[in-house]
Amino acid sequence: MSLRSPLGRVLGAGSAKRGVHHWWMQRLTSVALVPLSIWFVVSLLSLPSFDHATVVAWMAGSWTALLLILLVLTCAWHSQLGVRVVVEDYVQGAGARTVTLVSLMFAHTLIAAAGVFAVLKVAFGAAP
Amino acid sequence: MTGFRLPANSRIVKGITHAAPRGTRELRTVRIYRFNPDAGVNPRLDSFELDARSCGPMVLDVLIQIKAAIDSSLTFRRSCREGICGSCAMNINGVNRLACTTATRDLAAEIRIYPLPALPVVKDLVADLTNFYAQYASVKPWLQTRTPVPADRERLQSKEEQERIDRPAACILCACCSTACPSYWWNSERFLGPAALLAAYRWIIDSRDEATGERLDELEDPFRLYRCHTIMNCTDVCPKDLNPARAIAEIKKMLLERQS
Repeated sequence: MSLRSPLGRVLGAGSAKRGVHHWWMQRLTSVALVPLSIWFVVSLLSLPSFDHATVVAWMAGSWTALLLILLVLTCAWHSQLGVRVVVEDYVQGAGARTVTLVSLMFAHTLIAAAGVFAVLKVAFGAAP
Repeated sequence: MTGFRLPANSRIVKGITHAAPRGTRELRTVRIYRFNPDAGVNPRLDSFELDARSCGPMVLDVLIQIKAAIDSSLTFRRSCREGICGSCAMNINGVNRLACTTATRDLAAEIRIYPLPALPVVKDLVADLTNFYAQYASVKPWLQTRTPVPADRERLQSKEEQERIDRPAACILCACCSTACPSYWWNSERFLGPAALLAAYRWIIDSRDEATGERLDELEDPFRLYRCHTIMNCTDVCPKDLNPARAIAEIKKMLLERQS
């Protein structure tokens, strides 16, 4: 039981004085994802065939590789920002919340790095 | 994790049925959430069958009729009976609204009445608004200035400046909006909720107020403000047709604009 006043509880530890950046980046990344996703789907669908050699050749193009890297990074960033909000909404308890948020941050970093690495590997012509 | 089921002692059980009086011509069934904290039992849903012709036109009239004629222990808040005090806010047929401005003829034949969602229940339809009022107080809903009061007149504002705050200032703090917000259900201890944020906005855009920056500082927080995910239930349910969702969006815009 706590005898702290209701106002004291609401004021809590005060304002974090942050949140604008997160909110703005979520909007910016979603705007960036619109052309990137359209480009990705359209250019993938306009390939003559989906066999391994054709897709690898497509990925190795400079513009394709560049845009794919941007797509992977923006996706991972946007997803990290969004999933973070979901976790903050639903996971209660400081411990569980911190562990979940840190794991998700690591997972997103890993996915982003792996994606970029994969594109570069194909683009720079290593044996697939 | 957030609980998606009610705790065992909050689950609603079947209640008592009060049958319609003899000679009822226009049957109306009203199911009402009942909870007595002193009884030590689960809340129940009572059914009251009554003749629609014996009551006034509004849901509040029906409640008053039930309390007067059938069960005097039925507990609810009401005062002005004309939609300006905000006391009789409750969940009627799944929507938060004021019992006094909701006509029974606009509802389905069966009316279901619950207290405002996601708040502790004091008794029957009376919800505990302590946290809600504390959140309102936390945004300092009063004029803050550094300029001394002019010696010979009030602090003046132009007609346009008054019109800007006219709507947001019409909030009656009934809590329909905040308790309709899923984000508020999950995080009401840290998210201020649409009502308190609308009040904050009303003072942020007040041309006479000189604490705009401090007010914005206090709101810039991942929980206090940014738990709003633009669900818009607040604007949907507001019995005064106000737009808390837009006020929150405007606050977010102002926070962004002062950074660039």
